[in-house]
Formats: sequence, structure tokens, C-alpha cells
Amino acid sequence: MAEKMKGKGVISGVAVGKIMLAGQNLDGYLKDYKPKKKADEKKVAADALVKVAANLVKTIEDLNKKDMKEQAAILEAHRMMVEDPAMSAAIDEQVDKSGSAPRAVLDAYESQAQLFEQMEDEYFRGRAVDMRDVGKRIAKFILGIKEPEIGEGKVIVAGQEIEPSVIAGLPSDKIAGVILGQGSTTSHAIIIAKTRAIPSIVGVGDAIEKIADGDPVIIDGDTGDILIRPTAEERASYDVKIKKQEELKAHYAALKELPAITTDGVKVELVANIGSPADVDAANNYGAEGVGLFRSEFVFMGKTDIPKEEDQFKEYKAAVEKCNGHLCVIRTMDIGGDKPLPYIQVGTEENPFLGYRAIRISLQRRDLFMPQLKAILRAGKFGKAGIMFPMVINVEEFKAAQKMVEEAKAELVHEGKDYADNVQLGIMVETPAAAVMTPILAKYVDFFSIGTNDLVQYTLAVDRGNAQIAYLYNHFNPAVLRLIKRTIESANKEGKWAGMCGEMASDPNAAILLMAMGIKELSMSAPSIPKVKERIRNISSAKAKEILDKVMEMEDGNEIKAYLSTIS
Amino acid sequence: MTEATTTIENKTGIHARPASQFVQKASSFKSKIQIKAKGKTVDAKSILMIMSMGLVKGTEITISADGPDEADAVAALKQMVDDKFGEE
Repeated sequence: MAEKMKGKGVISGVAVGKIMLAGQNLDGYLKDYKPKKKADEKKVAADALVKVAANLVKTIEDLNKKDMKEQAAILEAHRMMVEDPAMSAAIDEQVDKSGSAPRAVLDAYESQAQLFEQMEDEYFRGRAVDMRDVGKRIAKFILGIKEPEIGEGKVIVAGQEIEPSVIAGLPSDKIAGVILGQGSTTSHAIIIAKTRAIPSIVGVGDAIEKIADGDPVIIDGDTGDILIRPTAEERASYDVKIKKQEELKAHYAALKELPAITTDGVKVELVANIGSPADVDAANNYGAEGVGLFRSEFVFMGKTDIPKEEDQFKEYKAAVEKCNGHLCVIRTMDIGGDKPLPYIQVGTEENPFLGYRAIRISLQRRDLFMPQLKAILRAGKFGKAGIMFPMVINVEEFKAAQKMVEEAKAELVHEGKDYADNVQLGIMVETPAAAVMTPILAKYVDFFSIGTNDLVQYTLAVDRGNAQIAYLYNHFNPAVLRLIKRTIESANKEGKWAGMCGEMASDPNAAILLMAMGIKELSMSAPSIPKVKERIRNISSAKAKEILDKVMEMEDGNEIKAYLSTIS
Repeated sequence: MTEATTTIENKTGIHARPASQFVQKASSFKSKIQIKAKGKTVDAKSILMIMSMGLVKGTEITISADGPDEADAVAALKQMVDDKFGEE
């Protein structure tokens, strides 16, 4: 019998593989570590440096043999950081302070990392991650924790928390699944897993400590079931499900090149929500026709200072280029008091979601907004770009933002930099105020993109993270549907276009309604594209219109939901 | 002691790859070797110290060595910088 565990399945699918422990929290190990005298600890640390460097040399040789030059070069730099004469002195100094070799190693590399983070050059700032990685590698060696190794076959990455770099750094055909101890569905690791459709389970809790490296395991991302060391029978019981999954995958792959078009010829663009330029590659594999929402937050997070125009330009340009001539809509900074950054002083707010955030900050902080606008305008030259302002509640805000775009262009002319003059300007419709005002706003904007996650929350006054009232959160609520319909019709009336980039866009039943309302574009996490496309390709717009008319007569959101589930 | 001054001319400055080449070369000499730039002096055998100086294109650096092979060391390292680390 397998040992069974249960968590919350967040990304669907069954995965089979060997456990690779990652992102261990070292706190427990550090607490259990019994340091000896300071002189001995210094010797322990010095020996560890020699051995870790020697291990790295071996790994580098292997990588070079396999012609993995890029990875080899990174580890070569890591090796030099291990053997660096400046570090051994810094570690000794830290041993004098804390008395523990592993802690001293972590502290020494941490302070080096902080030094790098303060540097002006983006490239050097990025190396802080390497410093921490190296420190952790040595500390783990001293504590007797083995490095995760990817051998033959697929792995299921497991850990209390997993650093996003761990998942991003592994070849995507190697990772079959993800198990997280903590329960957040919005951690970066899960967001990356989502764009790659890797079956994932979160919220396993402390039970995760019982999983050992290399254990064979089956996970079911639909039910949250985890089977450790399954028997042959247990393994076989999943065969049917795995086979079905493979068939569906093949079926969806066949849809990739086909357009999302109804049986009577109405077309909807299916595009992707992305968090970084690399996500566009995955999106293209699912047949995305561009990007409807590029969350630019990753450009701002984890920085100690305002990201430079040049650094931002590189990222946006990469995303725009990868869209191969399709539109790439970049949302300007959408950050507030809930995610404080050192260079945006928001202060303590009672309700950050109704506070100083997103466009409200951008319009007051020219030093923050200008580099971003200029970077996007320049990136537009390499394809087709759009700028989308978040959290807009009135016409004045859009006009002010538009004016700053004009100023950004003037600055670019003055600096002799090339930029695209045809960059579309639009707003995210995510506040009830904006939705109500869309007939007026439509005169000014080029497009609307409906952000349903916030629109539902703000319209219904329901925090969807609150389990007690989660039953009220429903994108089919008639009030929400009316605001969406109004937004789409306002855009079409003025000859503009409306799209959607909230989670609702990935609901195939919602897609039918939205299409009947006249939406032009649906943006979602890429793995959802095939199932939405399939739904649209199997219905006529006439039939969809019938369904919409019926739905708009209904009085209750649950009634609508129930009705739609019967017609699929 | 032997000393030589030169300017970094390769496009990307002393990033990780050139820095590791530089340190490997420096470490092959017995002499104590230092780099002086932007008013700071660091150990040329430490990749971290060198990288932390942020040596971008156009920075003027002075390489100094003190020891049995100081002349060779300074000459070899200066050559490396002047050759733009084999870039371009």
C-alpha cells in the first residue's frame, strides 16, 4: 500500500515521477546543528568550501561532456564564488559572531548578495540570486543535506515552499508535477507551473516532511491525492486516467493551428496572460494569437530601486518580438500597499485594495511612470504593442495617462530614440465606476479589457479569499453580467474593441456568452486556450445569442450557472 | 612592484565570464595582485571583489603586482583586458 496524503489540487492532471526535494527550509536543520568550538567551526567551513568546489568541478565536467555549455558556465561562476579568497575571510568573521559554520556561510553570502543588489547595473544586481544559491549549497553540504539531482525520467518537485528559480531553471520536459507544503495558489512557483500546465497540489502542510528524495509518487491535480511508493495495482488504477489525459492532450494539440471560430463564422481571438517574456513561448505552443495581458509587475518586484527604462525595454521588446506580429498588451504597474516596494512608499493603509495603488501611483510618480511608458513605446517598434492602464475609475485618469504618453513620445524624440507611433492605449475595466462610464470612456480609448477578478469583487463587495462568503463570488451574477455587456456594447458602438483578461475568460460557458455579447478577444492562462477554442468551434453564434437572451432574463447567478452547465 | 594602467574596452565590461577568465589568469601567478579603479583597490584573485566594482566599458583600471612573477603577471593581465577578453 502506498502512503497517502491529500492537498488541494490547483492545476489539473495526473503525474507520475520521482520526488525531487527542493527549496528546503534550512531553519530546522540549523536549529538541530550542534556547533563545536569556533576554531573547529572555521575548519568545518573551510573544508566544506574545498569539497563543494571539487563537487562542482565534477558536475561542470559532466555538463561540458553533454554539451550543456550554458549551465556549465553558470556553475563555473558558482565555483569561483565558492573558492573566492574574499569569502573565506568573511566566513571566518561570521563564525566569530554566530559560532556556527553553516549559519556563518549563509550570513557571509547573504551580505555579499545585498552588496550586489545595491549595484546600478541590472546584470550585477541579478547576481545576488547566485550568491544566495552558493551560500545555501555550502550550508547544505555542512548540514548533510543532499543536493537534488535530476537523473533519468521525470520528477515531481516537492517542498514546503519552492523558489521560482528552481522550477524555472529545470527543463520543462523534466518536471511532471509540483507539490507544495504551503497553501497559497498565487505563489510564483504555482504561477509558473500554470503557464506550463504542470499538475500541482498545494497545502499538504507539514506532512510534506515525510516525503523522501527519490520516492516514486503519483499525484492527481484534480483530486489533490498523493500516493507515495504506489504498488503496481495502484499505479495501474491510474492508467485509464493517464491514457485519457494523453488523448485529450493530442486532441488539443491538433486544435493548435485552428482559429477560434463558430460554425457560422464569428471569430474570437484567444490570447494569453503572461508574467514574463519567456511565457510567450509556452503560450505559442497552445496556439495563442498574441498577449492580452502582460503583467509588468515582475519588472518591479524584488528591486531596490526604480527599474531603468533600458532594462524594461529589453523585457518588453522580447515579449513583443515573440508575439510574431500579434498584439502584445502590456499592463502598466499594478502594485499597491499589499506588496510594498522600497522605492514606492505607500505607508500603512487600512485597505490597500481601495488605496494608493496602480494608476493612482503612476500618475503621481513621473519618475516611475515615464521610464515604463518610454520602454513600451520603444518596444512597439519590434512588433505590435498596446498599453493598458489598471484601476481606472474615470475619464480624467485616462486623459492624464494619455497626456503622459504624449510627453514620453516627446522625450523620446528629443533623445533621438526610435519608437512606435501606433501603440494602442486602453484601460482595464475592473471597477464598477469604469464599467458604468464605458459609453463615455469608449470615445477616448482604443480598447477595453475587462478584468473580472476585481470587477466581481468590487461589484459584489465580496473578497474571494474569504471562505465564509466565497459562495457569493460568481462571475455569472446578473449585476456583473450587465456591467460586462455594457462595456462590450460601448466599445463596439464607438468602433473600438473589448476583450477580457480575468479568470472568467477561461470558462468555456462564459466564453459563449461573451462572444454573443460581441467580445473580440479573450485572454487567459495559455493551457486554457484549447478547451475554450473547442467550445467556440462547436457552436453557432445564433445559438449562442439564444443562450445569452435566456441568461439575461434570469434573476439569479446560481440559476445561470446551473443552466449553463446543462447545455454544454 | 610592477604597475600598468589601461581602459576596459569590451562592450559588456567585466561581467561574470570575463571576470572569471581574469581571476583564473591572476590565480596562476604567485604574486599578490591588485586592481585599482574608481578609487578602490581589490584583490585580483577574488571574483566577487572584482565583480562588485562594476567595471563597465570605459572604466580606467590599474593592475599592480608584487612578488616573484610580478612583471609577467601585469603584462599577461593587461594583455587580456586590451584584447577585450577575446570578445567581438
